[in-house]
Amino acid sequence: MRVTTSLLRDVWLQALTDTQAQLARTQNQVSTGLKFSRPAENPVGAVQVLDLQRALSESSQYSRNADLATNRLGVEETTLASVGDVLQRLRELAVEANNATQTNETRAGIATEARQALDSLVQLANTKDGSGNYVFSGFSTQTQPFTRTGTTVTYAGDQGQRQIQIGASRTLADSDNGAAVFQAIANGNGVFTLQSAATNTGTGVLGQRTVTDPTQYDRGTYAINFTSPTTYEVRDAANALVTSGTFAPGQSTSVQTIAFRGIQFEISGAPATGDSFQVAASRNQDLFTSVQNFITALDSGASNPAGQASINNQIGNFLADVDQSINHVIDVRAQVGGRLNTLDAQKNINADVDIQSKSLLSDLQDLDYADALSRLNLQLTGLQASEKAFAQTQGLSLFNYI
Amino acid sequence: MADLLRIGLSGLIAFQRALATTGHNIANANTDGYSRQMTDLVARPPQGSGGGFAGNGVDVQSVRRLFDQFAVNNLRTANSNSGLAGSVATFAGQVDNIIGDPATGIASGLQDFFNAWQDVANNPGSTSTRQVLVGQAQTLASRFADASTRLDNVSTELNSRIRADVGQINNIATSLAKINDDIVNASGSFSGQPPNDLLDKRDALITQLSQLTNVSTTVENDGAVNVFIGNGQPLVLRNTALALSTVPNANDPSNLDVLYAGTGGTTVITPALTGGELGGFLKVRDQLLDPARDQLGLIAIGLAQTVNSQQASGLDLRGQLGSAFFSVAVPQVLPRSSNTGNATVAATVSNVSALTGDEYDLRYDGTNYSLRRVSDGSSVALSGVGTVVSPLVAEGISIVVSGANVAGNAFRIQPTRLGAQSLTAVISDPRGVAAAGAIRTSATVANAGGATISQGEVLDATNASLLTTATIQFVTATTYSVNGGAPIAYTSGGNIDVNGWRVQVTGAPAIGDTFVVQANTGGVGDNRNALLAAGIQTRGVLAGGTASLNDVFGGLVGTVGTRAQQANVNRDAQSAIASQALATVQSASGVNLDEEAANLLRWQQAYQAAAQTIVVAKTIFDTLIAAVRG
Repeated sequence: MRVTTSLLRDVWLQALTDTQAQLARTQNQVSTGLKFSRPAENPVGAVQVLDLQRALSESSQYSRNADLATNRLGVEETTLASVGDVLQRLRELAVEANNATQTNETRAGIATEARQALDSLVQLANTKDGSGNYVFSGFSTQTQPFTRTGTTVTYAGDQGQRQIQIGASRTLADSDNGAAVFQAIANGNGVFTLQSAATNTGTGVLGQRTVTDPTQYDRGTYAINFTSPTTYEVRDAANALVTSGTFAPGQSTSVQTIAFRGIQFEISGAPATGDSFQVAASRNQDLFTSVQNFITALDSGASNPAGQASINNQIGNFLADVDQSINHVIDVRAQVGGRLNTLDAQKNINADVDIQSKSLLSDLQDLDYADALSRLNLQLTGLQASEKAFAQTQGLSLFNYI
Repeated sequence: MADLLRIGLSGLIAFQRALATTGHNIANANTDGYSRQMTDLVARPPQGSGGGFAGNGVDVQSVRRLFDQFAVNNLRTANSNSGLAGSVATFAGQVDNIIGDPATGIASGLQDFFNAWQDVANNPGSTSTRQVLVGQAQTLASRFADASTRLDNVSTELNSRIRADVGQINNIATSLAKINDDIVNASGSFSGQPPNDLLDKRDALITQLSQLTNVSTTVENDGAVNVFIGNGQPLVLRNTALALSTVPNANDPSNLDVLYAGTGGTTVITPALTGGELGGFLKVRDQLLDPARDQLGLIAIGLAQTVNSQQASGLDLRGQLGSAFFSVAVPQVLPRSSNTGNATVAATVSNVSALTGDEYDLRYDGTNYSLRRVSDGSSVALSGVGTVVSPLVAEGISIVVSGANVAGNAFRIQPTRLGAQSLTAVISDPRGVAAAGAIRTSATVANAGGATISQGEVLDATNASLLTTATIQFVTATTYSVNGGAPIAYTSGGNIDVNGWRVQVTGAPAIGDTFVVQANTGGVGDNRNALLAAGIQTRGVLAGGTASLNDVFGGLVGTVGTRAQQANVNRDAQSAIASQALATVQSASGVNLDEEAANLLRWQQAYQAAAQTIVVAKTIFDTLIAAVRG
């Protein structure tokens, strides 16, 4: 092919432009540290980078969420631990108060401590987290959940439970509402309650109560009526006779068990004729009410053995209630602990996702410097050679010799 | 002697001419479009006598240019293709820069916005996290608007480039018509001798034209050339140039069409202009830029509508159902410029997940409406009749026609074109963020049964009784009533849908157990709605529920990136082909200075030799005179 002077120059210029463009691209890569900076250079990679960057941003958001949830659950956990301690102390007080050697005066002393314990419980139930939000008020985090009016404590929060997103498809409750923690506690032994009638004149004191066969107990209300100090009968809500039996009265040394319909309980002491005890299905009772009942019992004072027995029965009920409360608080704490474990596990998962995404992202877009720099050298050398060659060929002309 | 003198003289004249041609070649070595010229010499007719034929010297037959018409035609085709690929690559690169530029930040803006929702979900009662969210919403909206403005600028630039190219084509056409005239006159005056430099100038102009658009030519007997563009529309006929002009598109006045003023009236020839730079501008506008704007708008509308409807399902810090977060333009409807009557068409987005990001033409034939997708011309099924009660509905848009429509009228509907540009965050009060669920539920603490109630969800935020307190009471263990109404059979875990909300009661309720569903007043710590809003990012809210906002944006980046990559590859390939074609043309027509130097020597030597012939003739003559004198 016939080569012309201008073509020689054009071809060289084209080659020079191409090499310079490649050089510019390599320089850009080296200065940004990225394999490509525009989607056109690697469309598939660019879309993957977008996805990975989103995954990274999400996982760091989830980690942040998880940290906050950890803090909040930590506050709840500590608070519940204190609630458990206070309840345990109240239980000790109840056991102490139940002692036969107690007098009205000593019980009043115990009542003072119980009142302080109740104050602490209300305070604990109104705990705020680091951001000033009430921990136990459900969704109404700016509303004080528990307020005391006289002897009653009312709940002003709601039953909401907030979920926090801690993973792409994982949410976790970061709180428990006050109703669930402090109110939804079955009284008695969790299945049934026992009450001595206020009109009792004997000294019958209720003791251990157990459920022997849960399938037989129909959640009904029953009355145990002493027809004489040695005989009793059990009637249901419709006053139909369920069972009857004999009773050997005696002071605390003599303990006798009455059993029917899958439940049983002990009675000691000497019930009088006409004395009555009621069995009813357990209902939810908030723990403040239980404690208040205890205080009321302590304050009531006894002027005769029957009064003493009544106090003992009320304290016995409180012991059952407080055991329920303690167990309930332990249950909630266990749930909180479980969530904290889940959070730890999820944080590890998030960290793994993070590392994996980062490594994928790095493979995808980070420059291999060794490769890029050797390419840069090669391109520079090529450019220099091409420039030299051009200068030399341009010097060649027949006109030089004419 | 006279013969020898004449022969020598003929050589001198011929070689002078050849030297002049070589000099002309050297002088034009760097002239664009110049074809090297060559002096053709012929021996003069001999003079016959009894002693045979005696030569009479040399004549210049012609000065011709070395020119390969086939190679030049190839070069023009290659130029058209390379012009097309070049303009496509330039503008695809610009669109790619805008969409793919991390600084544009649609992807990171979306991410930051939804992360801000997560932060609100972490602490819904805090005004500061809400303030951040409101700020992120404003940033995101302005990012969409920025990207949209940058794309609009590309569109404006494309229009001005189209205008400039059309102007240039017209100039070239006028010049060609003039040169045609010159060439016909010149070759007529000199008995068919080629006016080489005029021919070169004309060929260079046609080659220049081929860069702008696809062209073909025919040559007339007298040397005039007719130039055709598009599908064979004549641009230059002998000494007449036909003019092109630009007009706003009848359907979408923001885009320019090319109008051809032919002999039989004016026609729009935009679809026929498929080659050259101009073809590239039109192609990149229709196939890349406008779809990119529509897709970006689709994401903006998807974001605005989904976030707004989520916002409407929740309660803000003031305890009211959330008001709109974003505002976004309704679909753009452009009446065709030829429409008659006073009909107006209004379109709204009725189902954001069915939106496609396509453009449509709505046509009326006097009784029925038909809808056609602009990109591929396919027809789209329409339901409804176009009234307010029964609007025309197709692919997520709902169309209402008012006024008297006339058969033949058409309307261009661009559902998402203005989406990105118009996206604005209308929320400014951080308390207005509806982070809380609208309702909350509670089980009465004294309930004896073990049944629990779910937290509830809002099905229809527009229900007027949504926030009215409702009580679900179990009349028996297997039936319940709502607000004391008729007993309804109870299924554990079954949906209870009342007043626009839905709850489930699970477990074994006891007779008399009650559950309350009420407005979530004071629920400042509730984050249920914020969590749902944060989930919009990854939820399939577009393309019939199959694509999230991120997916659509990723798709846009991928499509634009792939197009730009293809365009770059094409540009490189076509420019290599064009270089090759140019080399072939140059190979025939280009000037090689070494060759010209050799020719220079050759003609110089020949000239010297011819001069020597004259000297010899003189010497012979002198010798003869001396002999006669002597």
